[in-house]
Amino acid sequence: MLQIASLVSGYDALAVLHDVSLHVKESEAVAIIGANGAGKTSLVRAIAGLNRAMRGAIAMHGADMTHLPAHARPAHGIASLLENRRLFGEFTIEENLRLAETAGRKLRPGRTKFEWNDVCDLFPIVRERGATRVELLSGGQQQMVAVARCLLLQPDLLILDEPSTGLAPKVVKDILEVLGALRDRGMAILLVEQNVGIAASLTERAYVMSLGRIVHEVAGEEWRNFGTDERLAKAYLGGGREP
Amino acid sequence: MLLGLVSQSLLSGVTNGLIYALVGFGIAAIFRGAHIANVMQGEFSVVGAVVVDVLLVQIGMPYWAAAIIGCLSGAALGALIDVVFIRRLVAQKAPDDSYLLFTIGVSITISAAVLFLFGREGHLLPPIGSGQIFIVLDAVVQEHALWLIGISVILMFALRYFYRRTTLGMRMSAAAIDPDGAATIGIDVRAMRTLTFVLGGVLGAIAGILITPIIPVSYMVGLPLTLKGFSAAILGGLTNPLGAVAGGLVIGILEALVVMQMSSAYKDVVTFSGLILIMIFMPRGLLGRAGRAGG
Repeated sequence: MLQIASLVSGYDALAVLHDVSLHVKESEAVAIIGANGAGKTSLVRAIAGLNRAMRGAIAMHGADMTHLPAHARPAHGIASLLENRRLFGEFTIEENLRLAETAGRKLRPGRTKFEWNDVCDLFPIVRERGATRVELLSGGQQQMVAVARCLLLQPDLLILDEPSTGLAPKVVKDILEVLGALRDRGMAILLVEQNVGIAASLTERAYVMSLGRIVHEVAGEEWRNFGTDERLAKAYLGGGREP
Repeated sequence: MLLGLVSQSLLSGVTNGLIYALVGFGIAAIFRGAHIANVMQGEFSVVGAVVVDVLLVQIGMPYWAAAIIGCLSGAALGALIDVVFIRRLVAQKAPDDSYLLFTIGVSITISAAVLFLFGREGHLLPPIGSGQIFIVLDAVVQEHALWLIGISVILMFALRYFYRRTTLGMRMSAAAIDPDGAATIGIDVRAMRTLTFVLGGVLGAIAGILITPIIPVSYMVGLPLTLKGFSAAILGGLTNPLGAVAGGLVIGILEALVVMQMSSAYKDVVTFSGLILIMIFMPRGLLGRAGRAGG
């Protein structure tokens, strides 16, 4: 579904990603792991169209979108939850979501997977506090709204940049439950995560990044052990697992 | 006698204040939408008024048609400036001061073009309506002033509705609040910025058309209008376009009271001193972000 081949990307003329190749299949959950500065966020921004591709190719469902502007990419079935969520804090929950809902209907006609009520069922906060300004919510609540906003874009692939960062363990558990339910419904997920335990619990395989390159691909038993084996994680990430 | 003086001053203050508010709204909308301190906002007013003057006086077009084309000229000028110049500056990641210098340059260029094409003399448009005069609370009220107040107030409510209730208005606000977040939900941030300039151009032109039956418009009027508009926008909270309405009214009424109590020579001194005090003690403006996304 998502194919990235020999991608070079970065900020202005400075390349941060070097020769990155990866793929995500239909209904597959894949993780990108790596230490701080490995280039994970730059990769998400490149897929979302926010960082320019200098070389290489990005394709979704076989359609080349390497040089498509960011706003045109959700039409190809991509929804990106960026670092720091990037919600519109001055808008209410409902206003944030209605904007995405309108965009989803326009950009993905006839491909509706998540109706408004589905999203309300998955995230009760939408019904309970729909008229509350987003900037007044806790980090965990904002994360829920951000995931809900992504779903209303009717994506085939959900890209999440460190959704657990800065959140309490209980909130992380709630978010993981929702993401697990989405995965079970067949949603493809590309999860960028520093916390290997979290990544391994949700995904089937992972790419390990270091200094802007994919240095290893982990799957099966090895990947499952990654979440629990400090030694393995340390060998690949340098600093070991995040607490 | 005193009642007449006070009500006449207040009427004058509200009329001028609403003009400042329209110019200030355009400045705040562009600042919020494009993060550009737009020094050429007053020139949109000059262009709008001069276009209407040419169509109405020299070509003999009906007032309403000339006014619509005058507004469209403001819109076209706003779009042109964004598409031809601002986009290039953004693409080259120009620093903030480049935009300021750019808008100063465009402001001077437009002013010079108006001088070259239309001469030094001021242009006065006929008043809207039949030119009737009313006496309200001992104050002499021209019909045009009522039109000006009515149109401005309706426009403010319409803009408030536009920003808060329409999908396009909310998309424009969203693109201003977080461009990256907006792009990831399918909002064309570049197009939204162009629309912001179009809106700024239209508002500037409307202000110009409404003020020209009261004050002759010439090549020199743009900068003073911009300064008053900026004052209104800063007073109301530069990132809150509807705050500029409150700011404009405060400045207009303050000026009128100074003229009534002291002399018109001191009105700018008092107004700008008040502005400095507000900037010191209320750096986010009178309303700050209380009015939130465009209202």
